[in-house]
Amino acid sequence: MQLLKVETNGTAKLFLLGSALWFVLGTLEGLVCATHMVAPDLLGGISWLVFGRIRPMHTTTMIFGFVGSALLGCACYIMQEVLRTPLWSERLGKVSLWVWNLSIALGLITLDLGYSQGREYAEWIWPADIGILLAFALIFVNCLQTAINRREKIMYVSSWYIFAALIYTWLIYFFGNAVWNPATGAIFGMPDAILAWFYGHGIVGLFLTPLAVAIAYFVVPRVARAPLHSHTLSLIGFWTILIIYTHIGTHHLLQTPVPTWLKVLAVTGSIAMIIPVMTVLGNLWLTMRGRLGFFHQDIGGRFVMAGLLWYILTCLQGPIQALPVVQKVTHLNNWVIAHSHMGVFGFAGTIALGGLYYILPRITGKPIYSIRLADVQYWLLLLGMSGFFAVLTAGGLVQGNSWLNGETVYRTVPMVHVYFIVRAAVGLLFVGGALIGAYNIVRTVRGDQAPAEERMRLQVYGETP
Amino acid sequence: MRMNPSVLVLGGLLIFAPVLFMHVILPWLTVGGEPPSEIHRARTTIEDEGRSVYVNNGCTFCHTQFIRNFDWGVGAQRVAHSGDYIAEQPHLLGTERTGPDLSQEGGEHPDDWHAAHFRNPRFVRPESIMPSWNFFSGAEMIALVAYMQSLGYKMADDRTARQKYWKDEAVAAFESGPQKNVEWLHGHVPEPWTKLPNPYMSSRPGLLRGHRIYQTQCIGCHGPIGDGMGPAQPFLYPPPLNFTLLKDRGITGGILYYQIMNGITGTAMPYFKKDLESEKIWDVGNYVAVTFIGRTDAHAEPRGIDASNEPVENAK
Repeated sequence: MQLLKVETNGTAKLFLLGSALWFVLGTLEGLVCATHMVAPDLLGGISWLVFGRIRPMHTTTMIFGFVGSALLGCACYIMQEVLRTPLWSERLGKVSLWVWNLSIALGLITLDLGYSQGREYAEWIWPADIGILLAFALIFVNCLQTAINRREKIMYVSSWYIFAALIYTWLIYFFGNAVWNPATGAIFGMPDAILAWFYGHGIVGLFLTPLAVAIAYFVVPRVARAPLHSHTLSLIGFWTILIIYTHIGTHHLLQTPVPTWLKVLAVTGSIAMIIPVMTVLGNLWLTMRGRLGFFHQDIGGRFVMAGLLWYILTCLQGPIQALPVVQKVTHLNNWVIAHSHMGVFGFAGTIALGGLYYILPRITGKPIYSIRLADVQYWLLLLGMSGFFAVLTAGGLVQGNSWLNGETVYRTVPMVHVYFIVRAAVGLLFVGGALIGAYNIVRTVRGDQAPAEERMRLQVYGETP
Repeated sequence: MRMNPSVLVLGGLLIFAPVLFMHVILPWLTVGGEPPSEIHRARTTIEDEGRSVYVNNGCTFCHTQFIRNFDWGVGAQRVAHSGDYIAEQPHLLGTERTGPDLSQEGGEHPDDWHAAHFRNPRFVRPESIMPSWNFFSGAEMIALVAYMQSLGYKMADDRTARQKYWKDEAVAAFESGPQKNVEWLHGHVPEPWTKLPNPYMSSRPGLLRGHRIYQTQCIGCHGPIGDGMGPAQPFLYPPPLNFTLLKDRGITGGILYYQIMNGITGTAMPYFKKDLESEKIWDVGNYVAVTFIGRTDAHAEPRGIDASNEPVENAK
């Protein structure tokens, strides 16, 4: 069967290709949302374009479709590389790939038709949840068998994070979506809110983060042409992220009536996140010290580098905004939206793209279709993310302080109008970046070469295509 | 430490299990058994149907359903208790307040206001950025409004009962003709206010401010020429007041102020005490008086010592 064709690294390649296409859809959905907030009557009265339905489609397309697919594709490749063993079953890999993508499509289409379970990032209906769980289980089995049959005795740190992500995401997804309760995917009352944010933060922290860190641990030493700085730091960073990140979901609920002891745990855990984050970043920084030139030359390395910088910012902002006194101003407004975009897109998404650009040529055996286009995409996304962060943080502060001073929400809506306009404009950079990326990646997968770059390569290196 | 698959899998589970117990199961066991709060009641079937319309269409992405102890806006009379949420599945606390909190929305407005608002929110709230929901079927709309009116449970029931009582009064007054209607409206403004003229001078800048407030708050119902024929009018009964009827019927600045501040419960006229501060209410009231009624009592006697920013001509 063509769809399940067995080819070396075929699973990884198609995950990466899928990611590039989901990225286009995800940014277009974001643009629809941003347009609604500027001109609500422009798309007025069209049920399948209404903000309330597109917004969860946007978040889940980005988390699972774009970032998730790229991370899983990279993980499949990295696993084989670091264990020096081919993927246990490429056919099983292809099955998991189709289950994954069809589940995403099912979740999105049903959301658009008006079937939602309502909890953030857990909106998909039960059949889609089951599909996602099945896909994770299949990928886990595949990776586990690969590890058991490995030729390299020492398991490199990237593979630890991949295992952690697969195990934890499955568990968090299973419990978080309350899959034993298919009708609502939820439990009752405040415990449901606590469970939903155990899931909501876990999906960022224990699905996207470990896989992105796995890519960074893989790409950074290779691009820097240097061994990883410290095994001990790797161990500390790895175990502490599992211990700490699982504790912090309730920091989304500090202003709601959840038990105080739980809030204390969440705030404490959020501050303690500095430990795993700084351990990992320190380890990678010391690995690449004095070798930044290599990262400028390698487009994949450059994306990973940018992602790590967003990681620092996200994870310094995170503990600060987990403090109750800060949340008095920042909670419930666009400040948090700026933060979530920086985490999911700036950090995990940019590293995912870095992994993609680093790995894809190694799968196809040919250079990327066009380094120049990848470069344009890099700058569009970097500018887009910076602008987005600045404008939403500013708008959020306006909202938060106005509310504290007693302004009603209706009065603050026109106050942030101008920020919403800039946000929609900046969104165009994301859409442009996604479109350019998709074109570049599709051409790369087909094995094409941009003619000008091919000529240049011939002149400089004397390579034959 | 030498890593291998069993260390990773077993170590991962060893960490996950206690965390799951501490962060999910323990709160579930302790909070889950809490009794309902004193305002809680079960939802009716139609309210539940409306809630699923709310869930399926992502209303929760812009509207929270919990009030914090430092909130001022709509619903701020009731800070959230965990006992309010025992029947919530899924929870709808929300994480963004692009629109107002809805935990005490029930009875804030009568049903006809909601009908106009869901059709196009700008019909009643000109600066709203909420989408239009005119693609809902009639049944979905009715269920959603029923759910809106249930938000706040017993507190909402008290408010909706008040809305219904005064709706009947207001309809009867409207149907008894303009003179009787205006008498009824003025009859429910406390006496000190009915005799109170607008204490501030009518000025060009003040009228411009009033004009702007009128356009952002009032125009959807009362219309651009104050005849009560704004885009929301077809949905509302009793219909929005035609201001031109008020001339020579005992209108004062005080009555205008009181009714803008307090609203007219039972009709679609909401209170503006939370949206507008004092000077803004006087300004928009004077704008209505000058522009639509054609007569203003701004700065008429009796009045006290002039505020220090008032122009000195004709001053005390």
